[in-house]
Amino acid sequence: MRIISGKIYALQIPFVEAFAHSTKNRRFSDSIVVRLTADDGTNGFGEGLAREYVTGETAETSLQYIKKCLFPLIEASAFAELDASPNALEALTPIDEILSAAANSSGEIIWNAARSAVELALIDCLLKRRRMSLAALLPPRRKQVVYSGVITAGTPEKALQHARHFKLFGINHLKIKIGDEQSVDRVAAIRKLLGASVSLRVDANGAYSAAEAIGVIKELAPFSIESIEQPLPRRPSSDDAFLKKHSTIPLMADESLVTLKDAENLCNSASFDFFNLRVSKCGGIFNTLKIAALAAKSGVRLQIGCQVGETAILSAVGRHLAAHFADIEFVEGSFGNLLLTEDISRDAVNFGYGGRAPILRGDGFGVEIREELLEKFAAATVSLGREKSINA
Amino acid sequence: MENLCSLIETNYAAQTTEFVESGIFRALENGAANLTVYDKFIANICRTHLKSPQILAFLYAIAPPKAVENLRSNLLEELGLDTNESVSHPSLLIDLARSAGFDTESLKSLENAAQEELRHVICDPILFGTLKEIGLSILLETVSFEWMLSRTASRTARFLTTHRSLPPEHLQWFHHHSEVDIKHAAEGLAAIADYVEFYQFEPDEVETILDVTFRNNVFIKRYFREIEIGESSGARNQ
Repeated sequence: MRIISGKIYALQIPFVEAFAHSTKNRRFSDSIVVRLTADDGTNGFGEGLAREYVTGETAETSLQYIKKCLFPLIEASAFAELDASPNALEALTPIDEILSAAANSSGEIIWNAARSAVELALIDCLLKRRRMSLAALLPPRRKQVVYSGVITAGTPEKALQHARHFKLFGINHLKIKIGDEQSVDRVAAIRKLLGASVSLRVDANGAYSAAEAIGVIKELAPFSIESIEQPLPRRPSSDDAFLKKHSTIPLMADESLVTLKDAENLCNSASFDFFNLRVSKCGGIFNTLKIAALAAKSGVRLQIGCQVGETAILSAVGRHLAAHFADIEFVEGSFGNLLLTEDISRDAVNFGYGGRAPILRGDGFGVEIREELLEKFAAATVSLGREKSINA
Repeated sequence: MENLCSLIETNYAAQTTEFVESGIFRALENGAANLTVYDKFIANICRTHLKSPQILAFLYAIAPPKAVENLRSNLLEELGLDTNESVSHPSLLIDLARSAGFDTESLKSLENAAQEELRHVICDPILFGTLKEIGLSILLETVSFEWMLSRTASRTARFLTTHRSLPPEHLQWFHHHSEVDIKHAAEGLAAIADYVEFYQFEPDEVETILDVTFRNNVFIKRYFREIEIGESSGARNQ
């Protein structure tokens, strides 16, 4: 297969309501969607969400990196067709080798969101050419995926309102954003409303120092918290090990876990109990599988997470991974129209009652992308390859 | 129950105010919108309500005993079966679209879009645990449109006559849902109260379902979809 053209969409899809955590208050999804077109006319779609505080990328720099570094590489390459395989890592290695020819980092920037958008578009295209589902590479081990709800930072009253929604929706796993002064009040109010049967986790997005984190962990002790995600900022530090030694709540790595090297270091230091795998943050399916394999060897438990504002593309990929991994503790994502005023797929991908969502069986990732909606929500577009000459 | 009806009506009033004070509604009413915007607005009204008989039939099927008669007469009226002279409401919507110049192909695509809406209602994942909650959510939204239209339909018909040159005889759908229909809106609120009582909802459940159902302004979401604010303030394209 050869890729002859494509288009990058820098989207701005408004949220139904703002989503806040300790470092950011978001009002719209700023996904980057890449459409690649193969020589037989097949279209594949991929997605990434640039997060400056995680990988150093912005939507603008990711867009330029795709245009200047990744697309010329894939335009010059011939891709072997994909076949159904029980070994997805092996099947996807040729794609990884081509994409890895581009520098994956520039100084402080790790181009994982950009890489995710392009890698997913390539895989989607290759799968659709063979009328195959991603499930042919990632065979599902369960019949459905059960998602957690996420409660944004904000007043305890607002948090309770969201908790009531999730209670009505039958959600039994909730993650609560913490890191501000009202964190413990928020958690206490939610625990009181939901009772003991609902599993609660917290996520600090790196808001604390080690001493602060230990203090908060003590205050959270009465509320049966399953894990605390990224209590400390991402930085090479002995604080992680210190916190691991003193924390009574299992620790989950998120912003600290971006590259394979991070995963190796974290596994070696044994400073986290959980890894939060987010496809865009990790740079696509291949890297996510590699990190998951490392985690499995080291006995680190897994959560499939999501970036705030993911559209149907990343939701679908997350669903496939969550269905495939043998041991998965928690799954986040597939918020679809619960968060976005309009998602970009023909059929909704959001979870239903109880957080339950079916396995996706259609070709590619199993979602039909409506390109007219990409046009509608695009704040900027870049045409690639032959499409560029046509537009010019 | 009085408190509940008051809470629901307050919600409807807030949604309606936001709708009529939106830039797009004001542009339509002032004649500042171009013709494309009027036509998209008309198309969206048709798309929203062409399948109303089927939605009402669902609500009739799950109606509590006290609300059955109301919902039955509503359904018959919607189908044009309440009197010998009646015309079904979907036919009135088609008449509206035809008078605005929609050709056979456009009418067909309106019908398809309305069918697609219904397909989504059926196929999209359901967040509620039982039909009880789904029914209340749909009932709340259906009555919200009756409530809003009974307060704004005459204004809408007026600006479609003034700025889109549609003759009053083709605006019958608005007439049926205007102030003359205020009784229906009141009956709708009573039906909600009956439903809540019969199916034994807790007050906080109703509040949460109300909250979830109206997270977006449903009138803006359905009537102004695909309409950009920029389009409404552009020069008129006569």
